[in-house]
Amino acid sequence: MKRILQHPSPTTTGRTYWRSLGEYARTPDFEEWLHREFPKGAAEWENDPLSRRTFLRLMGASLALAGLSLSGCRRPEAHLVPFTQTPEWVVVGKKMSFATAQPRRRGSIPLLATTFDGRPVKMEGNPLHPISQGATDNHAQASILDLYDPARRRFFTRANKKATTEDLAAEVTRIRAEASSTSGASLAILAEETLSPSRERLRNDLLRQFPQATWAVYDPLNSGRDLAASSLAFGPNTDFRPQLAVASTILSLDCDFLGSDEGDIPDTRGFASGRRTRNPDDKMNRLYVAEPRFSLTGTMADHRLRLRASAAGAFLLELARQIRSLRSTPDLNTLLQQAPDLSLPKGIDPAWIRECAADLVTHGQNSLILVGRRQPVAIQALGLALNSALGAIGTTLLVQPQLSAPSTNLASLADKIRSGTIRTLVLLGGDPVYNAPADLDWASLQSSIPNTIHLSPFFNATSARANWFIPGTHYLESWGDTLAADGSYLSIQPTIQPLWAGQSQLEFLTSLTAQSKPVGPSMIRETFATRTNFTGEKLEQAWQDFVREGFVPSITITSPRSANASSIATLLSSIEVAPADDIHSLEAVFTHSGAVDDGRYANNGWMQEWPDPMTKLTWDNAILISKETADSLGFKNELSKGILIADVVQTTIAGRSLEAPILIAPGHVNFAVSLPVGYGQENLGPVAKGSGFNAYHLRTSGTDYLAQGLQLKPTGRTRELAITQEHQAMEGRDLVREASLAEYQAKPDWVKKVGMDGHIPPNQSFYKNPKLTGDHQWAMVIDLATCTGCNACVTACTAENNIPVVGKDQVIKGREMHWIRVDRYYTGEPEEPESVSQPVACMQCENAPCETVCPVNATVHNEEGLNVMAYNRCIGTRYCANNCPYKVRRFNFFDYNQRSLDKLYLGPLAPKGTEETIKLQKNPNVTVRMRGVMEKCTFCVQRIEEAKIGARVRARDSADLGIPSGTLQTACQQACPADAIVFGDLKNEKDEVGKLRSLPQNYSLLDYLNVGPRLTYLGRIRNPNPAMPGAKMHYIPSHGHTESREQENGHPAEPNGQSGGKAGHS
Amino acid sequence: MANIFPRYTNWLPIKILVCLTVVVASVVSGMAYYFTPKYTRVGYQPTQPVAFDHSLHVNQLGMDCRYCHTGVEKSSHSNVPSTQTCMNCHTQIKALSPKLAAVRESWKSGNPVPWVRIHKAPDYVYFNHAVHVNRGVSCVACHGKVNHMEVVYHAKPQSMGWCLECHRAPENYLRPLDQVTNLDWIPPATTTQRELGEKFVKEWNVKPPVSCSGCHR
Repeated sequence: MKRILQHPSPTTTGRTYWRSLGEYARTPDFEEWLHREFPKGAAEWENDPLSRRTFLRLMGASLALAGLSLSGCRRPEAHLVPFTQTPEWVVVGKKMSFATAQPRRRGSIPLLATTFDGRPVKMEGNPLHPISQGATDNHAQASILDLYDPARRRFFTRANKKATTEDLAAEVTRIRAEASSTSGASLAILAEETLSPSRERLRNDLLRQFPQATWAVYDPLNSGRDLAASSLAFGPNTDFRPQLAVASTILSLDCDFLGSDEGDIPDTRGFASGRRTRNPDDKMNRLYVAEPRFSLTGTMADHRLRLRASAAGAFLLELARQIRSLRSTPDLNTLLQQAPDLSLPKGIDPAWIRECAADLVTHGQNSLILVGRRQPVAIQALGLALNSALGAIGTTLLVQPQLSAPSTNLASLADKIRSGTIRTLVLLGGDPVYNAPADLDWASLQSSIPNTIHLSPFFNATSARANWFIPGTHYLESWGDTLAADGSYLSIQPTIQPLWAGQSQLEFLTSLTAQSKPVGPSMIRETFATRTNFTGEKLEQAWQDFVREGFVPSITITSPRSANASSIATLLSSIEVAPADDIHSLEAVFTHSGAVDDGRYANNGWMQEWPDPMTKLTWDNAILISKETADSLGFKNELSKGILIADVVQTTIAGRSLEAPILIAPGHVNFAVSLPVGYGQENLGPVAKGSGFNAYHLRTSGTDYLAQGLQLKPTGRTRELAITQEHQAMEGRDLVREASLAEYQAKPDWVKKVGMDGHIPPNQSFYKNPKLTGDHQWAMVIDLATCTGCNACVTACTAENNIPVVGKDQVIKGREMHWIRVDRYYTGEPEEPESVSQPVACMQCENAPCETVCPVNATVHNEEGLNVMAYNRCIGTRYCANNCPYKVRRFNFFDYNQRSLDKLYLGPLAPKGTEETIKLQKNPNVTVRMRGVMEKCTFCVQRIEEAKIGARVRARDSADLGIPSGTLQTACQQACPADAIVFGDLKNEKDEVGKLRSLPQNYSLLDYLNVGPRLTYLGRIRNPNPAMPGAKMHYIPSHGHTESREQENGHPAEPNGQSGGKAGHS
Repeated sequence: MANIFPRYTNWLPIKILVCLTVVVASVVSGMAYYFTPKYTRVGYQPTQPVAFDHSLHVNQLGMDCRYCHTGVEKSSHSNVPSTQTCMNCHTQIKALSPKLAAVRESWKSGNPVPWVRIHKAPDYVYFNHAVHVNRGVSCVACHGKVNHMEVVYHAKPQSMGWCLECHRAPENYLRPLDQVTNLDWIPPATTTQRELGEKFVKEWNVKPPVSCSGCHR
């Protein structure tokens, strides 16, 4: 008997959720696509040089040959190779963790490196450090793949010819001689930001020896304007850091503090902690966002305003006036006396700003205003002054000393180079040829210097133009130190010998300063000694602790209580008038890419395949543009067979132009585009090749963030973009459930009544339920109220579970392999949507539909409620994926781990095997799957088994097999900076997961299917301000059949063409 | 009308059937015997680079398994001893024996001794030594009486069905924890293995996994 499910008809009133413009418009193509399990062509054998018949013939012949020799019957002789001398601590087969840190430009991330048999395989946050508390972000997770990247250069080169270390030593001696003769004037160093105190010490040594030498620091995404604003407001050498955990009203003005660029892990954690509601009377923070493009921060906003980046000044001045009218302070009066009177752009409702100001003033010192860190100094300084006026300094905004010492900037270095004094330039990391402002013409500047030395882990555009190239070591290969955003001192220790010949920046600087001391722990220890007050044995103990635990906490600092209004006031006149809102004055904003950062991860396969949280674009960047602006310019995105075909346009700013595809981004401000940087590096490596365009080409010194006078012209060409957005479509089944705080307080169990869930008929499965007799019953709850959709879980899962990279072509066909995906839904109009993210992994259904259809029992239920996969049993029928209502199963269409991605279609004719270094990264506790095998999330069963085995080993002859609460975490949960993912044992009363599952706002996806998911969600709760113009106070959709709910909502159903009712009934 | 089928064809179907049955039965039984680990693995006895004699070291000298296989109680993997472990004694005992030339060579050069692997779980099996030896499963259960082997050989089939025999009925194999590395242990005369095993299963809360995820991840 076939069981026919009566899908509930989608909500006919309230809100509809859509994930792409195609879905919103219900184009026929989308409809056709929707009803396929995989996009058209995903299961077909096309565009290959071999026809299916030839392939079968060849296979038949090779099988026959193999049969003749019977060589497969003989057991190959394998060897067990022990150590000759076992190193201390090593127990073969056991993992070890080492505290280390990943250097970052604005505050490094304290980490633990997990190593197996001497090879690091996974990065975790350092649980002891207050910044990480065990959490990481996607770049920290992905950095491990950089270590093993086969594209890393393995030898020194001089003039592109292999050189030896002796050659380099001779070169260093020569440079020192040259520099001494000019007392350093001929020597310049251009370094990327690493925040290393040891490097700082060596820098001082170098400048002591060569006082005239130039030390410049350049980072394309560090404008330095935030520090300049801070210096103005709080005095020289200061920096500020938000404390979102104590902020109850937050205004973000073009500041993506939940993204990985302008934010840090504690920002997300702090924001989430103020967002978390467990009881209806819990307090909840409120977030206002005014921004040009839809950012992660924008998705979490309770009120979001589309604002061009150029209008930030006018917005903030208006806000200042409104704040003054509510709470007049002498400082504010001083400020606003000299402020220009800029009119707000049309379309911006002054009432929005008024109500926002009122809310900020009401919460006083618990309010926080964050301004984008690349906005002009005057605007950022005004933001700090407003925080000061609200009394927020010291509570929600901490002032602390700057992490790095001031250095020469790139422009002044360029002047020196032009004047011809520089004879030798040493580049420590970075890639200025690729990412320096275009007006500097860095490539020819660099070529004009007689001698350039580039130290970098990758041979990039700058290396190609340098005389000397030194392969730099990865942070996991070398000793070092760095600072976290809170100023705490972090240790970096090697977890593996350098894979190739290479030097760290510190090693090179040591030789450049002619220090005889060996490089390594002793050098870091010396810096450590100068930063602590210990001596003798105490110092030794402190040093041991430092290396073991990875950090010394920051010393608490007293901060000023207010900003210096008068110094800021003089600057306000420089705030510029925003250009008119029309199609002839387009502006461009250069944004950071969440995937490849400033371009440094461009050759990292995990990051290329990482879907951008908002656009879901992989392997490319694109010009983000609003629908309205694209329409008026005549540009379009077409969806054909699930493939996004984007118009390529010619983009010109001030005479520089490039061609790039456009991507229509819902929620983007009109008359402006966003240009993500970091792509278009053709020669970095095979992964980076062919992905995206180089937006740095349009970026100049004066327009490093915002450029006016943008022109877009059609080229008539198109480009296929690999978006994961419309893959795995689920019909409008109230998958995401939202309520306003007021609704939640009025009806804590609102989530149960959404859609059809209120009246599901008693459903019975005719399959016998598996007996769930295990001592543990695993379950996971994801809190949609705190999930920011940052996708760190996706990268963590990729690293933990050996998930292959499949390449752009395969992503276009819908074959991406991520076990956890983050669905991003839009709701409302395409111009002014709201957005919500929902991570979806395998639900581990108790009555799993996939299990009953497997002909070989490769997927079965275990006694602990897990839906397990035995990969070695799977024969690849894909029945399970067809029967999965959540579409969370992934199929290995090719041997992604054995064949190179550009030769997949050659099948067995392609050379087999992968780079040795890539193999080193694989987690030894997870099977590396081959072609023809289905795979999916297992709740990190390897970690579960490890924990269970650990409990048994501890127990020995006792009966206590309990796993202590909190010691077992899945990879996604561990990485999540918002603590939105909670995993645990339902039978352990101390585990939080059981409590969360019993909360009234807990719901499961597609409850009416009666599959009994073990992964459930907490409904999202928003906290809109009723006083705001156009505030949406009703989030709960009511079902068409439920009359009572319609009355409650006060307004009956509006007929909604987009709800797509008929598709749901089968 | 002439007879199309000659007379002998009357017996043909039966003859074919009998032949087919014999062929199929012999193929099936042949595969069931020759293609299983019971045949392909048991008895595998490669020549090792060093003629290490387990029976001498364990039976005559009384060394414990864990003196050399140090990680067995802590790790999933039971390590083969490092050259250093051999040299702990053999710098003084039999220091010049020609049988130990390979060990001395390894010690001098730093290159490990390439022992030939005998027991190998497939890559998709995640066997864990620690959890077995810490919960009363003796080495002998999987490796046979290594203490009596002059040259080690593969003694048990180590197939999945064989694993499950114990996982489904652990009481037949469990022994006191202090007897795990005593390969010649037999239950005291006052009790039987089964009685003792059932007591341990109850007291230690022994529940071996029988679902796929126990060993396959």
